[in-house]
Amino acid sequence: MNVPARLRDLRWAGVQLSGVATVAMLVVAVAVNTALQPNFWGGYALTSNFATFVPLVAIAIGQTVVVLSGGLDLSLGAQVTLASVVAVQVVDGRLDRLPLAAAAALGVGMACGALNGLVVALLRLQPIVATFATSFVFSGLALVVLPTPGGSVPIEVTTAYRDSVLGVPVALLAIVGLALLWRVLRGHRVLRHVYAVGGDAEAAYASLVPVTRTRVWAYVLGGLFAALSALAVLANTGSGDPFVGNELTLASVAAVVLGGTALAGGRGGAGGSILGAMVLALVTNIVFFADVPTTYRQLVNGAVIILALALAGIPALQKRRPAA
Amino acid sequence: MSTALLEMTGVRKRYGGVQALDGASLTAVRGEVHALLGPNGSGKSTLDKTLAGTVVPDSGEIRIDGAVARIGGPRDAHALGVAAVYQQLSIVGDLTVTQNVVLGLEPARRWGFLDHRAARDRAGAALERFAAAFSGRLPLDRPAGSLGPGELQIVEVAKALARGPRILVLDEATASLHKEQVEVLFEVVGELRAAGVLVLFTSHRLDEVFALCDRATVLRNGRTAGTVELADTDEAELVGLMVGDVPHRAPRRAPATTGAPAPTEAFVGAGPEARPGAEAEAEAVPGAEARAGAEARPGAEAVPGARLEVRGLTTERLRDVGFTARAGEVLGLGGLQGQGQSELLLALFGAARVSAGEALLDGRPLPLTSPVRAARAGVALVPGDRGRQGMFATRPIQENLSLASMRRRARAGLALGAAAERSAARSMVERLRIKLGSLADPVSTLSGGNQQKVVIGKWLLDRPRVVLLDDPTKGVDVAAKEEIYAIVRGLADDGAVVILNSSDNRELAELSDRVLVLFEGAVVEELSGAAITEGRLVAGALRLAPGESL
Ligand SMILES: Nc1ncnc2c1ncn2[C@@H]1O[C@H](COP(=O)(O)OP(=O)(O)OP(=O)(O)O)[C@@H](O)[C@H]1O
Ligand SMILES: [Mg+2]
Repeated sequence: MNVPARLRDLRWAGVQLSGVATVAMLVVAVAVNTALQPNFWGGYALTSNFATFVPLVAIAIGQTVVVLSGGLDLSLGAQVTLASVVAVQVVDGRLDRLPLAAAAALGVGMACGALNGLVVALLRLQPIVATFATSFVFSGLALVVLPTPGGSVPIEVTTAYRDSVLGVPVALLAIVGLALLWRVLRGHRVLRHVYAVGGDAEAAYASLVPVTRTRVWAYVLGGLFAALSALAVLANTGSGDPFVGNELTLASVAAVVLGGTALAGGRGGAGGSILGAMVLALVTNIVFFADVPTTYRQLVNGAVIILALALAGIPALQKRRPAA
Repeated sequence: MSTALLEMTGVRKRYGGVQALDGASLTAVRGEVHALLGPNGSGKSTLDKTLAGTVVPDSGEIRIDGAVARIGGPRDAHALGVAAVYQQLSIVGDLTVTQNVVLGLEPARRWGFLDHRAARDRAGAALERFAAAFSGRLPLDRPAGSLGPGELQIVEVAKALARGPRILVLDEATASLHKEQVEVLFEVVGELRAAGVLVLFTSHRLDEVFALCDRATVLRNGRTAGTVELADTDEAELVGLMVGDVPHRAPRRAPATTGAPAPTEAFVGAGPEARPGAEAEAEAVPGAEARAGAEARPGAEAVPGARLEVRGLTTERLRDVGFTARAGEVLGLGGLQGQGQSELLLALFGAARVSAGEALLDGRPLPLTSPVRAARAGVALVPGDRGRQGMFATRPIQENLSLASMRRRARAGLALGAAAERSAARSMVERLRIKLGSLADPVSTLSGGNQQKVVIGKWLLDRPRVVLLDDPTKGVDVAAKEEIYAIVRGLADDGAVVILNSSDNRELAELSDRVLVLFEGAVVEELSGAAITEGRLVAGALRLAPGESL
């Protein structure tokens, strides 16, 4: 075995280790929550906890796809906002308009993703810069669509979202559904190409992988999951808010890194990101129940994210081959 | 046979200040194995890439079957039946071997959903012939990044073969392969030839070229210097065509005149006698000269006892390896591919997990726990895998050349000025004839052979006490190979112990004073002096008794 092989082994171990680390963090977060939150395991608390997890889980999966392709999408939160306000305007409290509203949200998300993908893959702008710029476009559009918080979601939707089936919270089923959707995508050629392009774009190109098209697809899929996140936000809150996605962007990146996906691309998966998202959500819970004064809450949240990133990200950030 | 299958004419490609191709042309027919030869940096890989679609030429015309081929990317080339084995490989380390072999052409069921079983079958079929290189068990589900250089090379070959090409480009596909795998590849190429496939073959091992190819086109500075029938050509003629009318370099000047500082002193020992020219090299009895040199070395005998002593070294892949080496000795490692040769070098460099055994350098224990400590103790490793281990591809050439030695000099408290640093790097560039635009360019812009020269140059500036060389001249052209041999001998003359692993038996025979033959991680035979011949090395690798012939 040669040196690189050994380094590689360590690296694989690194990913696994961070998988272990993710689970460990989840366990710790659950333990602290159990201690702090009254009735953490009770039906009501469990349901409402899972209800708040779903938007973050969905957007984290979307960010995972983009990161795996070697990119980054800083506009995902704005896409959640835009898709949710469009959907709330379309549904306008009427249950029969629900399919239309869902389709509109998905369409908006994928269109935003396509725009990002074209800007990054064709114009070859830096993903960070390009998607930061488009995030303002999307946020601006959201304000045009819904200037102030308002609009209403059919009561049936919000009720069902907080219901449970045979004792299993619907929101948990939604998370399982998202995980299954990821599994299906993983079996598709596009996701294989996403991994290849993120791992080594030059080698992928020489191997007949359509690199540009694959990059665009990655952002489109990111937008698709942002739209699913938007639907979960609406189901959870019951009304539209033109600022709702702001904090989701950073959280999605944090969840991806916590889950052991390399920011350099090509390595990792959404399984870890889902766990990472739950850890983040639980940390927010902890900050809330630990009676941290409101003024410090954001500060503490941010510090925890940075700490977690530092701990979990170190092995995952190492990547020998410079991105092409 | 009448019309050409492939006609490339007037192909030009410029990279910044470097004219990589300057009107190159090549014509080849169906069922031919056509060699594409030339010194490092002459444009072979670039010409291959214009055919394979990864490089779009500035101008020039490519005709396939008489029709003008518009190749704007690899997919166009694939549609025309071109598949390539790239010198720098096109493997994605994070994907498995199977995923790499089928990459870009994944078998799928409906709507693009992958058919994993078909993919495994296809990869297995493509790798089957080469199973011996993996000790019989195909690593289909292992991440490609965990394979060694020789194994990766085979995956790259299998991937190209799986595309069923009618034009197959093999760019230094044999450079990290041992003889037995080269033979399998030759068999496969023979079958392809019989089936009417055109194979473009690039190698710096001329014996392979003569054994395999029908004709050869020689490039020089991006231009076609000529095409010859190999049956009517000898090695000397071919080398003459490669290096051009300019006769071989004048005898080397004394290093002092280059104005280079301290580091070049290390090479003084190699200086005086000019290396034999290409003609002489063709006739030279392999190995004889190196050993004659060893006998004459004053230092070698004078040092009492061993400089390096290894006892009972055991790792995952090594079993109880022990040997001693005197100062100034070049110790070769022979045997079949992957019998623990690289592992032994890594273990001595502190980069393998050593479970038992020890090593003494000048009577003091050599730390086998980390490369940093090994380097500090004066051990240098030229790794077998330059792409991932040997260099910082995106950093400037100069920085890469001086990294290792800079550390040493900094340690000695001799922080060198930028100017001195540059002139040290420049003298190495000159000695090894590294063809480059500017020292400030990233190493990744160099041709494969020139990258290898940077990797070697970097460590050899460092004046190590133990030099571990893992396939040091792979992809390096004939002239630079001689130069590297001279440097290696110079280091040995200075008292360093050199341990050499090479996939090229000719190189082992030429350089080694003694050869340890490894089999399954253990030393099974030792050859020394006149016993080191290519024939004995092959027999030893196959574990034939001395009397038996092949
Ligand atoms: N991407 C690039 N950027 C800049 N220069 C390049 C690039 N690719 C090749 N070159 C230059 O073009 C020239 C020809 O390179 P090429 O790789 O074709 O040589 P080669 O004949 O294959 O050599 P070798 O035997 O070392 O493989 C070299 O001088 C190299 O530095
Ligand atoms: Mg080359």
